[in-house]
Amino acid sequence: MIDVLFIGLSLASILLLVALGLAITYGAMGVINMAHGELVMVGAYTTVMSGIWLKLGFLASIPIAFLVAAGLGWLIERLVVRWLYGRLLDTLLATWGVAILIQQAVRLEFGLSFLGIHVRGLGPGLQNVSVPGFLQGTFTIGDLGINTYRAFIILVTAALTVLTWFILYRTPIGMQVRAIIRNPKMAAACGIDVDRVNALTFAYGSGLAGIAGVMMSGFKTVFPDMGTSMVVDGFLVVVVGGVGSLAGSVLSAGLLGEINGLVASGTNDILARAVVFAVVILIIVLKPQGLFSYKGR
Amino acid sequence: MLTLANVDSFYGRSHVLHAVTAEFAGDAITAVLGRNGTGKTTLLKTLMGLTDRMTGEIRIDGTEIGSAPPHVRARSGIAYVPQGREIIPDFTIRENILMGGFARRDGRRVIPDLVPELFPYLMENLDRRGGVLSGGQQQQLAIARALAADPKILLLDEPTEGIQPNIVEEIEEIIIRLNREAGMTVILVEQKVDFARRAAMGFAMMEKGRVIAAGPIAGLSDDLVHRHMAV
Repeated sequence: MIDVLFIGLSLASILLLVALGLAITYGAMGVINMAHGELVMVGAYTTVMSGIWLKLGFLASIPIAFLVAAGLGWLIERLVVRWLYGRLLDTLLATWGVAILIQQAVRLEFGLSFLGIHVRGLGPGLQNVSVPGFLQGTFTIGDLGINTYRAFIILVTAALTVLTWFILYRTPIGMQVRAIIRNPKMAAACGIDVDRVNALTFAYGSGLAGIAGVMMSGFKTVFPDMGTSMVVDGFLVVVVGGVGSLAGSVLSAGLLGEINGLVASGTNDILARAVVFAVVILIIVLKPQGLFSYKGR
Repeated sequence: MLTLANVDSFYGRSHVLHAVTAEFAGDAITAVLGRNGTGKTTLLKTLMGLTDRMTGEIRIDGTEIGSAPPHVRARSGIAYVPQGREIIPDFTIRENILMGGFARRDGRRVIPDLVPELFPYLMENLDRRGGVLSGGQQQQLAIARALAADPKILLLDEPTEGIQPNIVEEIEEIIIRLNREAGMTVILVEQKVDFARRAAMGFAMMEKGRVIAAGPIAGLSDDLVHRHMAV
């Protein structure tokens, strides 16, 4: 039983890892960033590329992936999203376009493949990343065998969640972000530079997606479409948890992950996924604002 | 001195303020009067840069701020206490007050010295959520938040509207003290003519998005009030 719960927890931590960045961009700015999955993919490719070109190991690529994805996120915000605040459907479409652009940029090796130039690590094929030895295999606690890499993902997710919580609730910049979530006009009237804070927030959320990508690359093959399905999972978590609530996202990722794990252990993955969707629909019907929505003014 | 020259202001396609030209004397309280829907609130929002679009000039002591975004205006010394308070219910009282401090030019975010003196109740409950306060206390909180910006100019939008009578007088006295003792320029949107006459040095009467009369408060005749404020 405990091993099933552990698998559920590990599924939950992967969900949360992807959802954390979304919880921030969707929660704070009301932007449905369809390119979030592609930022995860960019993080995964950053791991591949820094292994090939910089001879850097898996762990060293975590900060690089954060910076690359954050930089790309910042560009997306400055070039596209900032013009579309308050226009939900337009941001959805525009970021979807950005998602396709990023995917194709990777697949076509930034267009160089037209010129017959190939970049190792990019292109339409599959890539693999090797995880350092100490993260492979299993260790045992009592008579429970634990997959080391799953445990590592749980730890990283927990650390990022705590870091995000700390930034949001214990720093001046976090307070500005929360003020903007609640009342952007009043925040501006209180001297908060909403534009700048939004760009930073978007970059941070994107950076988290980049780290999620590094983690994904450790146990999944890396390919240009890998992000597409993840963005769906991410939104499930955010919508169930309640927009703008970090605690809600944590709880809902835990809930969905455990349901997935429990059902899958008794039956199979496909049925588990169906049950997860059913639960999500049920929660949205009963609590349209999500489990932890803040009460409006 | 805050001056507006030929200011037009818009929400989307609706044109709310029409060629408003006005002067708000420094160190004075100026009451902005008029019926509901004549653009008083929009005037304050326009000063703060919160309408969708505006044209014309707004100057603080000669410096043009009409094209600056709201946070720059806040940092140049204007603080806004909106109608309906707009405090953040799930922020603590402390956080609500400190939020105003982002507008301070010296970057210090502290609870201003005036707050314990003016609003002892807030000081005793700094860690409670803003949302649990009564309407009157929320109004005090909104004023405290504005003070945290260390402003030169305070914009107050019907500060005593919908507030229990025992706090109304207290808030009125505080507004007068902020002007007389702390030397703040106050622009006060008000429906109560008696309070306007008691507190303000100047007035501006609005009708259909225009300032149709303005001057020293002595010029606020009963006839003027009857014509433009009687319902």
